[in-house]
Amino acid sequence: MTPIFLRPTVRPFLILVGVVLLLAAIDAGNGRILTVATAYSALQSFSTFALVALGLGLTMLIGEFDLSIAGVFGLAGCVALTTGAENAEIGLLCAVGVGAAFGLLQGLVITSLDLGSVPVTLGGLLTASGLSYVITHNQAISSDNLDLATTINDQIAGVFSIRSLVVLAIFAACAIVFAATRLGRDLVAVGSDRKAAIIAGVEVKKLVLGAFTFSGVMAALSGSMLSYGLASASPSGLSDVLVPSAAAAILGGVSLSGGTGTPFGVAAGALTLTMLRSGLNAVAAPPFAHDLATGLILLAVAVSDAPYLMRRMTFLGSRFRRTLE
Amino acid sequence: MSIEQPASQSWLQIRAHFGGLARTRMATTRAVVLVALLIWAALTPSFLSAPSLTALLTTASVIGCLSAGMTFITISGNVMSFALGATAASSAMVFLLLLNAAGLIAALIGALLFGAALTGFQGLIVGWIRANPIIVSIAANVLIYGAFTWLTGNESVNADANASHSLLKTAIGGVPIEFLIFITAIVLGQIVLSYTVFGRNLLLVGSGLPAAEAVGLPITPIVFGAYCCAGFLSALSGILLAIRYNQANMSFAVHYDYDAIAAVLVGGTPIQGGDGSMIRTLVGVGAISIIQVVLLLYGFEEQWRYFATGLIVLLVIILYSGRRV
Amino acid sequence: MLVARQLAKSFGQIEALRGVSLNLVAGEIRGVCGENGAGKSTLMKLLMGIINPDSGVIEIDGRPQTIENPQKAQELGLALVAQELSLAPDLSVLDNIWLGNRSIPFLHRHAKFRRRASEALRLLGVDYDLDRLVRRLTLGQRQMVEIARLLVRDARILILDEPTATLSDVEIERMMSALRGLRAKGRSILYVTHRLGEVFEICDSVTVLRNGRDVATHSVADINRQRLIELMLGRSFEEMYPAPAASPSATQSLIISNLNIAGAVSDFSLAAPRGQITCIAGQVGAGAATIIRSLAGMVPEATGAVTLDGVALPLGSISNRVKRNISFVSEDRGREGIFRRNVLENLVAAKMPKYTRAGLLSWAGLRHFAKELCRRVTLDNTRLDANAFDLSGGNQQKILFARALGNKEPGVILINEPTHGVDVGARAEIYRLLREFCEMDYILLMASSDLEEVVGIADTVVTMYRGKMVSTYQRGRINMSAILADITHPTENNRIAS
Repeated sequence: MTPIFLRPTVRPFLILVGVVLLLAAIDAGNGRILTVATAYSALQSFSTFALVALGLGLTMLIGEFDLSIAGVFGLAGCVALTTGAENAEIGLLCAVGVGAAFGLLQGLVITSLDLGSVPVTLGGLLTASGLSYVITHNQAISSDNLDLATTINDQIAGVFSIRSLVVLAIFAACAIVFAATRLGRDLVAVGSDRKAAIIAGVEVKKLVLGAFTFSGVMAALSGSMLSYGLASASPSGLSDVLVPSAAAAILGGVSLSGGTGTPFGVAAGALTLTMLRSGLNAVAAPPFAHDLATGLILLAVAVSDAPYLMRRMTFLGSRFRRTLE
Repeated sequence: MSIEQPASQSWLQIRAHFGGLARTRMATTRAVVLVALLIWAALTPSFLSAPSLTALLTTASVIGCLSAGMTFITISGNVMSFALGATAASSAMVFLLLLNAAGLIAALIGALLFGAALTGFQGLIVGWIRANPIIVSIAANVLIYGAFTWLTGNESVNADANASHSLLKTAIGGVPIEFLIFITAIVLGQIVLSYTVFGRNLLLVGSGLPAAEAVGLPITPIVFGAYCCAGFLSALSGILLAIRYNQANMSFAVHYDYDAIAAVLVGGTPIQGGDGSMIRTLVGVGAISIIQVVLLLYGFEEQWRYFATGLIVLLVIILYSGRRV
Repeated sequence: MLVARQLAKSFGQIEALRGVSLNLVAGEIRGVCGENGAGKSTLMKLLMGIINPDSGVIEIDGRPQTIENPQKAQELGLALVAQELSLAPDLSVLDNIWLGNRSIPFLHRHAKFRRRASEALRLLGVDYDLDRLVRRLTLGQRQMVEIARLLVRDARILILDEPTATLSDVEIERMMSALRGLRAKGRSILYVTHRLGEVFEICDSVTVLRNGRDVATHSVADINRQRLIELMLGRSFEEMYPAPAASPSATQSLIISNLNIAGAVSDFSLAAPRGQITCIAGQVGAGAATIIRSLAGMVPEATGAVTLDGVALPLGSISNRVKRNISFVSEDRGREGIFRRNVLENLVAAKMPKYTRAGLLSWAGLRHFAKELCRRVTLDNTRLDANAFDLSGGNQQKILFARALGNKEPGVILINEPTHGVDVGARAEIYRLLREFCEMDYILLMASSDLEEVVGIADTVVTMYRGKMVSTYQRGRINMSAILADITHPTENNRIAS
């Protein structure tokens, strides 16, 4: 029986608390790290990839993996700026539509042709990325709509912004749906034991389709909001989202084999990463420190989740004891 | 008997035609496609002119070595690694540092061993305690970037003016040396896969890990060996880059992991492992490269080439991918 | 209520059903019997829409229906408790009971659903915590949750596929009375089982499947056990199981002392001599299969002392076991036996190092070796390059047995469920093969939940119940009813100190 503090539902929050305490310790009362400004910047970078992590986490929950998120993220930004030159809402709609279309198409290929999600979404990633280059004619584009950029990122109550509020609202909605409705239970069932779910009568194909569409929409929403906020878009993507999203999902307790994970957990995982980054920024740590910290945390989680860890440790322990005798 | 989620009957027949289990059918299709590509290439104006062919061969060879390394990991059933590109870049730096300090032989041995050890360590974690290979490679990727950016202060390593590697830049009989090295790597890799106990064991482990355990195969050394081979070949790729550019930094090989896995999959190695060969990866690398160069010569701009490649990879993956495990 | 006509289904080259017809009325409990591979599970999956028939008609209430998927089956009033448990381990008992139920609304956290779930569990005489994750339940408890799911479905046609495999007597009794209650309400039940005793206890009638066809349907009053077995086997009992050659010389052996596996097996001891087939008989979950697995090195937490031919064998290490020439034939050959590669590679899997010259493999040598193995186990050697997964169950099993050959000395073969998923024709060949291994002086130790098989082939039978050994029977004194009694409800009377 796993001790309570390692259980996937509780662990993400413990890690988050741990990181906050660590930062407080490093700060040692100087008031550099745990400030309102840090909280604001943490929430901003949270808004960049947290929804993407939620979408990826959903595909992982059902036992799949959406590799295309980085491509759809970048594509959405380009689509939003090119189609939204006159009207930002239209641009947003088009971008989200494109994301939904990508997710839906990939989901259709995966379910009706019974293919693995990694190869199909790899193809989707390359196609989406290529499409970004086509739309932007191979160059970074910028928008004149700087007012929009400032409104989207303006501080509300010191800590929030429109961007982060939208993200937090979506998280809240997902958490409620997940806990209170049949949908949440069915999704866990599909990831936990797909064959059992099929026999029980769960509509697995529809759920898989929905999960990939959701993932596409989340990636597109995040990508377009980021581009609006920066008033620019680039075909090579403004930000690498795969690593932080996967890290956030894993830290958030989503298992790669499926069946575990909650929206709150993913939020906690994403917050952990952003607190880490903002904290390091606040003490002017060099960027590689952030990479090292993220990498070590991910590695630690991978090792602690490894199925043979206990077995190997007890084996080593008994070997050690035998040599001592 | 297994549960079958019914895919449409006619599609199954089509798939049975192209991507079914019959090895001969798959091989003939691949041969036909390759011949068609070659004919298309040969008929393209100026394809056979020396500069374009040389450029094609050089670029393809560098990515090809990495793809060959990726093949070992995919065959072992561990899907892919996101860290091979970083391994290539860091090995390139190690190569140049050793070259400047101790000469060519030491540089070659040192860099290759470094790449093998760096990836082999990941293989130990994956093989011994069965940690998730995707997360481990994502963590390794981030750690390598962080560590090397730190160690080199984010600057390039340059080759000294009198470094002894210039002899490696020649072409032999008009064929660039990178290509010869790549072909040698493919041939040696294929010999390992087809004619050594390690290679056959690797295929068995990938095609059924519990069965391999039950029959007594030593899983940890086999997986470790596969990752070492992958690291060795990635280092080789990095060395070729270092030789070509006379410098090395961590911005090299950034997207190589995606290109490599695309080449592996297009060549026909299934993502779930247990089957595959170096020859198939050679075909995959060749096919993608030929497509890109032909499109270039027909005057397509870079963005269209990128998009077309992504689309074609997606289509081939759909045609060849087997059922999910 | 339910009529099936000439249902047929093939998987590649394997014809699972060749034309099965069935006629079920309201308020009837129909037993469905047949050997491994007769087609029982396939028939049930067809009825539930998990797979679709190649030909044939299904009529519900007189109207022909196509059951494309499990949702449609549920709408038509069908419900299934499958042989492989279909619970999601990461969901709670409550969620699993209601999983996939079409009468549940979107917002499903309603008190009335909790109540109905508790009622169903109470009907079965159990009282599990509704919020407990199924992952934490034992096999028997999970089975009860599956049956509870069936009960809340309120289906008109219930299908149970080997429902009592992991249940205790008390639980079985509760389930039976719940089924009788349903019958009184006019529901129809298809009861697939191996356990002939249960057929006579609860069924009104029985249909026998053999080789993919329905060979007979009788009312339970018109048939007896002997006749039932004959219908299932298609041949008389004696023809299936070859007798041992002569009285074997039991010199060296495999000796197990005080084997303990936490939660599964307590204090098990046994001596399995060379040249004999020793069989551990028990229901699924009684621990027989776990004992075999622990000898195969697959259970790290097993403790106890094992010696082979006088030399100690450490438990928990597969490499040690292989070094001592002990082969393991798993009950799950699709996962732990056969690789997704061709027959040749499957045959020579662990023996390749012997066929290398200067570090490189000699494929000619390997192929020659593989052909020799095929000859020894009567496998068609022209199919060496076919994918092993395309072979029939019987041929796959022969591959696994062939792996025990090729060493200089006769070794030990540990087997779990030797003829699981093997059709009748191949089963006789496998039993012949097992006898040949005995004549070559191998030690054969097997675990089987198939009583006919145990009684037919074993030289020594050890019965198990809930992890403890009950009694031992030698050839000549092997008594099917005594063994059945041991493994289902041992009393002080039939426990023999060995």
